Amino acid sequence: MSQENGLSVVEMKNIVKRFGTVEALRGVDFTVEKGKVHALMGDNGAGKSTLIKVLTGLYTPTSGDIYFEGKRVTIPSPADARALGIETCYQDLALIPLMSIWRNFFLGREMCTNLGPIKWLHQGEMQRLCREALHDIGIEIRSTKEMVGRMSGGERQSIAIGRAIHFGAKLLILDEPTSALSVGETRKVLNYIENAKAKGLPVIFITHNVGHIYQVSDNYTIIRQGRKVGTYQKGELTQMDIADLITGAREV
Amino acid sequence: MRKISTYTAILRSFANSPVAGPLLTLVLVFIIFLIAVPNFATWRTISGIVTAIAISGFVTVGVTILMITGEFDLSVAPMIAMSGYLYGTISTGADSVIVNTLSKLGLPVEGGNLGLAIISALLVPAVMGLINGLVLISTNVPSFIVTLGTRQIFRGIVWIVAGGVLFQTTENLSLYEIFNGRFDLVNNLSFLEGANFRTAMLWLLGVAILFQLILARTRFGNHIFAVGGGEGAATAQGVRVNRTRVMAYIINGFLAGMAGIISFSQFRSVRVAEQAGIELTAIAASVVGGALLTGGYGSVWGAIIGILIINMLRSGVILLKIPFIPADNFPAVVGVTIIAAVVFNNYLRSRSTS
Repeated sequence: MSQENGLSVVEMKNIVKRFGTVEALRGVDFTVEKGKVHALMGDNGAGKSTLIKVLTGLYTPTSGDIYFEGKRVTIPSPADARALGIETCYQDLALIPLMSIWRNFFLGREMCTNLGPIKWLHQGEMQRLCREALHDIGIEIRSTKEMVGRMSGGERQSIAIGRAIHFGAKLLILDEPTSALSVGETRKVLNYIENAKAKGLPVIFITHNVGHIYQVSDNYTIIRQGRKVGTYQKGELTQMDIADLITGAREV
Repeated sequence: MRKISTYTAILRSFANSPVAGPLLTLVLVFIIFLIAVPNFATWRTISGIVTAIAISGFVTVGVTILMITGEFDLSVAPMIAMSGYLYGTISTGADSVIVNTLSKLGLPVEGGNLGLAIISALLVPAVMGLINGLVLISTNVPSFIVTLGTRQIFRGIVWIVAGGVLFQTTENLSLYEIFNGRFDLVNNLSFLEGANFRTAMLWLLGVAILFQLILARTRFGNHIFAVGGGEGAATAQGVRVNRTRVMAYIINGFLAGMAGIISFSQFRSVRVAEQAGIELTAIAASVVGGALLTGGYGSVWGAIIGILIINMLRSGVILLKIPFIPADNFPAVVGVTIIAAVVFNNYLRSRSTS
């Protein structure tokens, strides 16, 4: 069924999502190729986050099909998305500030021993693995026991992305990862994305900031008012073209 | 140099712990009363304070676990009453609505059934907690409102089950001694002169250790903090938020049931309005013990310390004989404590951040 003959990691076809009478997505096609960084762009409210939440199981689409590695799938919950190997880093739902780094890192996939109904945490092992995983990606932290709420925005984003890269077996989705960051922190985050790409991990990078993604993306898909404007290759458009297409200042 | 760094490390990890603020408050209050109140440092007073926290202690542990998930329960008092009626009537087999109904159903309750008394006194409040949880997740109404409603409904059910009357017994079952009898093994120690400890403190200690371990060292505990600390993030990470919430309500019901057993074992009587008002004392104790009203933060030891602080204040203030603040005007002092403790805890938390 996949038109790219297995070259695509995910293919979403004619996705429609309605919230009551509001049509957030009006038949969007979206394909991500293996090993590529794909920017998903659009203005606030264009429907990019809705599209991603359909892909990650937070929303059920009103209609439309999703193919993952060529196979048709339904993704009814975040746990199902994760089971497929889709790892997401949300701008607003990434980490829990009142919990420690290691607890955040392993939240929802804790390593434990089953003692009947009680799942006893392997605290020491998770702390060690968390430190190692973050170190491998290039993130240095003082202690995995530190509360996330005590860290800067950039540090938090690094940890959230580090977690997504560590566990993201097949597809990494980053929802506005640079929106709240300083220039220096943004450069770091872009480096993590380059690293992920170098490992062959496909990345969907959602943003409305053209400048941030222009250098790292291989493809751009632009959506506006719940419809796809188009998908473009790197170099096909200038930053100015992209900005015009996002805002609708220019029609295709 | 090393000595200093170890010392700072210990200090920092203490300041980071949610128990730090409450523990300092407890020590402070204790020292103040030690100086100001002549009869404070007697085993009689101290054992009185410890005994007084037993019943409310169970409730505070349950309410704290709920508050960490970001929820409240105002319906604990009728759960305690329900537990007390079931435990009291079934353990004695006394002529009552409960016993008569159960014997009609063919259950062996004639002359008392201790096993059934304990099981039903724990199970029924747990089911009441389950109902709270299910109503909460199916209606999405804030738990404050849900449990305000179920409090009245549960009280109505307790009234029916109780036949609208107080139940008391003069029987002295050894079961009552086990749950909350005089702890004479300790009281008779020569250096504990005047002590009047009761066995309930051991049960409370056991429950506190158990639930602290569950909160800190199990996956379920991790999810409790996650649900209260960031529901969206927890959902996105695959935590079953609603299931975790319902479980917290079941635990809270179970602990209210425990409080009912402990209470009846001590007083041998139970009324429909048993422990009315305890829900707010428990919330106050949780907050004094460092839990955040907004969820995601708190501890079982903090809860125990919180209820200790409130009861120590009660004893101390009464012994101080301050004009206008006799025993029944004590809630005013609790009010001051709540606000002062929260300000103090916030101050400590912000200090340890920088």
